[in-house]
Amino acid sequence: MHKRIFGIILLMSFLVAMGISAQAKFPTKPIKIIVPWNAGGGTDAVARALARSGEKYLGVPVVVENKPGGSGAVGLAEVVQAAPDGYTLAILPVELGFMDKTGVYPFGFKDFTPIMNLNTDPAALTVKAGRFKSVQEFIAYAKANPGKLKVGHSGTGLLWHLAAAVFAKEAGITLTYVPFDGAAPAIAALIGNQIDAVTVSGAEVQSQVKAGELTMLACMGDKRLANFPQIPTLMELGYKVNISTFRGIGGPKGLPADRVTILHDAFKKMMEEPEFIETLNKMGLGIDYRSTADYKKLADDTAAALEPVLTELGLLRKK
Amino acid sequence: MVQYLFNGFANLISSGSIFALFIGVFLGIIIGALPGLTATMGIALLIPFTYGMNPAFALSLMIGIFAGGIYGGSISAILLKTPGTPAAGATVLDGYPLAQKGQAGKALAISTIASALGGLIGALILTFLAPQIARIAVLFGPPEYVLLGAYGLTMISYVAGKSMAKGIFMGLLGLLISTIGIDPISGFPRFTFGQLNLLSGLSLLPVLIGLFAAAQAFEGVEKHNEIQVKQVKITKIGISGHEFIQILPHIIKSAFIGTFVGAVPGTGTDIAAFLSYGEAKRSSKHPEEFGTGRIEGVAAPESGNNACVNGAMIPMFTLGIPGEAATAVMLGGLMLLGLQPGPLLFKENPQVIYTVFASTITSNLLILVLGLIGARFFAKVLQLPMKLITTLIFVLAIIGSYAMRNNVFDVGVTIIAGFLGYILVKADYPVPPVLLGLILGPLVESNLGRTIIISEGNLLVFFTRPLCWLFWTLILYTIISNILKSRKTVKASSQEAKE
Repeated sequence: MHKRIFGIILLMSFLVAMGISAQAKFPTKPIKIIVPWNAGGGTDAVARALARSGEKYLGVPVVVENKPGGSGAVGLAEVVQAAPDGYTLAILPVELGFMDKTGVYPFGFKDFTPIMNLNTDPAALTVKAGRFKSVQEFIAYAKANPGKLKVGHSGTGLLWHLAAAVFAKEAGITLTYVPFDGAAPAIAALIGNQIDAVTVSGAEVQSQVKAGELTMLACMGDKRLANFPQIPTLMELGYKVNISTFRGIGGPKGLPADRVTILHDAFKKMMEEPEFIETLNKMGLGIDYRSTADYKKLADDTAAALEPVLTELGLLRKK
Repeated sequence: MVQYLFNGFANLISSGSIFALFIGVFLGIIIGALPGLTATMGIALLIPFTYGMNPAFALSLMIGIFAGGIYGGSISAILLKTPGTPAAGATVLDGYPLAQKGQAGKALAISTIASALGGLIGALILTFLAPQIARIAVLFGPPEYVLLGAYGLTMISYVAGKSMAKGIFMGLLGLLISTIGIDPISGFPRFTFGQLNLLSGLSLLPVLIGLFAAAQAFEGVEKHNEIQVKQVKITKIGISGHEFIQILPHIIKSAFIGTFVGAVPGTGTDIAAFLSYGEAKRSSKHPEEFGTGRIEGVAAPESGNNACVNGAMIPMFTLGIPGEAATAVMLGGLMLLGLQPGPLLFKENPQVIYTVFASTITSNLLILVLGLIGARFFAKVLQLPMKLITTLIFVLAIIGSYAMRNNVFDVGVTIIAGFLGYILVKADYPVPPVLLGLILGPLVESNLGRTIIISEGNLLVFFTRPLCWLFWTLILYTIISNILKSRKTVKASSQEAKE
């Protein structure tokens, strides 16, 4: 009898010990980062640059898997449905903060556990070289000719569209928004004088601006762009516009806090690897580490800033 | 200029980039020939490996994969009716019938020669006229895109087969399917039925593989019990001098079409191939024989799509704007190599640029050599028993549609499209117009929306721009010449009936 009880206790303590060690030992198998876009894009580059040093800091390989489709929804859905064990993560796009409200994504930031922010790229107001000399001139023209200025962006309801709208609201002007299928065709249309301005990121127009083909009037971040220190921010000029796209990393809802900490600490070190820094610099992408709490705040702040514009543009969808 | 180019060739050889180019073209041909693996994916898969490589070396590798991949798609299109890439969609139309006539060797040789020559012309235009072409390309605004797309849709008349009504009906079906997904102007999802996989619409490749390859496999299953399995003999690889003279004008014309379509951002190799095919059929003395294995019907789209490869690099190198999907990926690769594509590249890295130009020229010669040598081996596929070929096509169709996005949904799309294609062929409805609708629908729709926004609702904008008039002329010419031609045939047949 005693023997049996002893045996049970022994077995139980063994199981508990196993449980504890299993908990302490994370990760034990490869970690998958889902990129909800095609291989070869900016998000893919960030993920791969990060994953390269995964084994060094986590002890297991970090694998990047591309799951494109549905404006990112297909890949993100896979993470939402995955077990919250920290082995399935994703690069989370800024659009998670509002595309549930516009009826495109059936999930939002609330369905994910944020881990940390990796990169931030502010929008920029860019025009054809020589067209306008300053933001003030742009605004004055728009006030005199309401709706005449056509602003290209990368797709209706995507961040650069909303950036243009936030700027217009702050400056008290009316602009006409022209959606393109991505930033590149919008930039091409600007070069060809088909439209008057674009509000895509500073990184996306940098080669044309450096070549003198386009002029960047202002950047919409909270600080000036490293590559264009002479270009003012809209904040400096007195307009309360702070719109940046950001790429963070996260997992499904309900990820245990201790695993978030393990992943956060490792990813932070991976972000400091020279290879990661070099890759992002080359792509013109801004490195911007933010802790779990700060990342959450960034997402919440952006969502709050965009809410009124979504209503104004008629993009909100009743459920 | 010429001296720079010589330096480029010297650098291509001395830096060992020519070796990279060789490997690139070789891999590209294989990637292209396998359905589901496209040139775009090939380049994307390669980029992580180019890290830290000599830029000229890495670029040669990418250019090789791009050019080889677009050419390689024609091999499976001709032999198995399975376009390896969307660019080879038009090659199926005459390439496959030609191979079934026992002239697979000839079909492969024509595709190789046309790809190489068309690509070469495109590469020469890229080398000597890139900045000038880029300036013309940016004059292309939304109204021009709408009319380019509309002109492309008139190509339905050339691929409709016997009945124009059926052709138009199928074209409309393609257009209808292309409206699935997020509305390009309002941003709201349409016809998605809550399916996340439908948010960005049906991908072209699974539909393409389904309509052609899977449908072919279903037909193979059916025939396998009915008739004696016939084996397709392989004629010798090559073409006669007479045939070369016959296809040469089409190759040259298609090369110009392809290069320009490539240079205009937002249109790619698939559109280039269909426009080239349509133009070849329009200008042919025997348009009625197209679709039954005309050699021009193979040469034109293959020249057009490989010229488009080079055309697509024009805006990338001169303006920093990718011409289409594969160059968009290449652009990212270039940046990772520390190069900033765009107007400054010519000033800051002329050596790299001219090595690139030398690479594009050389890549086409490599296609010629590797293609003609490889054709012997590729064509052997047709000596397999019909049962095995059918199985092979089906397996490739399934794997190919899955591999593109690692998504089982796409496999379902392929199978459904396969059933549709099978039924359509049985009912004598033409399949290619569906493709034209699918490819051109988004181009026309989104740009029509843009035109209306930019012109503030004034549709007269379509008549006030000089480039628009060019397309109006082409569109009207195509429609009127088709009507006249059909009247003639009606008259001829009614006269025959009288006699």
